[in-house]
Amino acid sequence: MLGFAAIAQNPLPPDRAFRFSARMVDARTVEARFSIADGYYLYRDKIHFAAEPAAAGLSVPDLPKGAVKDDPFFGHVETYRGAVVVNLALKDAKPGQQVVIAAESQGCADIGICYPPTVQRVTVPIPEGSIVPTPANEAPKKSWF
Amino acid sequence: MSIRFRKLSRRRRTLIFGFAGGLALAAGAGLALWDRHPRDAHDLLALSLPDTHGSQQPLRQWQGKVLVVNFWATWCGPCREEMPEFVRAQRDFGREGLQVVGIAIDQPDKVTSFAKELELNYPALIATYETMDLTKPLGDRLLGLPFTVILDRKGRVVHTQLGPMKPAQLRTIIRNLL
Repeated sequence: MLGFAAIAQNPLPPDRAFRFSARMVDARTVEARFSIADGYYLYRDKIHFAAEPAAAGLSVPDLPKGAVKDDPFFGHVETYRGAVVVNLALKDAKPGQQVVIAAESQGCADIGICYPPTVQRVTVPIPEGSIVPTPANEAPKKSWF
Repeated sequence: MSIRFRKLSRRRRTLIFGFAGGLALAAGAGLALWDRHPRDAHDLLALSLPDTHGSQQPLRQWQGKVLVVNFWATWCGPCREEMPEFVRAQRDFGREGLQVVGIAIDQPDKVTSFAKELELNYPALIATYETMDLTKPLGDRLLGLPFTVILDRKGRVVHTQLGPMKPAQLRTIIRNLL
């Protein structure tokens, strides 16, 4: 576990403090994960996802609830520590296609540093020969991108 | 004779390459030192940014004063927590020649609202993330906030800090420069 003093001397760059990964868990579902280093936290309302190409039809569910913090200026804010995992749907991805998941996040370190929003990209291969089910009747959440 | 010439030539070549390599190393070392110890804030002072009313404010207008430039944002909790100390410093040392300038990486309406709430007594300028790039050679390699640069009356960088400044530390630096 990294100590407070160690972070103060050498804070991690945002893509290491909030490491993003993504993997296909079935033919149309991507498990998106932020692994958050000790001493760092992400803001729930600053996390946004997009798929490239957009035609892959990304659908983002509500993000899991975070720890509630009462901010004197913004009021009720939610933060994540440790890890946050979201299952994203790719409704229109084609078998064999390479889809890039772009994840934007913004967070801070306990030592009193906040990072600007950072975008991390991971390419996920849609399995060859996979049968993509008919998209469910769900309203996709509007992407920030 | 020809063998001696080739030997000399080889020595010369070694010398030339060695000299060139030495020069490159020295230049590299010089650049690295420059990065770690910037002597002035030319790019910072060359900035001209809009305030919350949309009026352009060149930073050079405050040259000759002890200048505390604080990069902040409303979405940065530690920045907001630190700012009352800058308000107190401006109130206490403003007449002696201190000028605090806040550069907000934020939306003007949010900056206006927070400035009003805090009764900000120094200019709040509005900038974009791209503006933060000029803080890299000043030591903010991660482009984190808050980031504070303190300049003496001659525009030389005296102190830079990523993360909140301790009140006593801020006051000591300011007093030594006034």
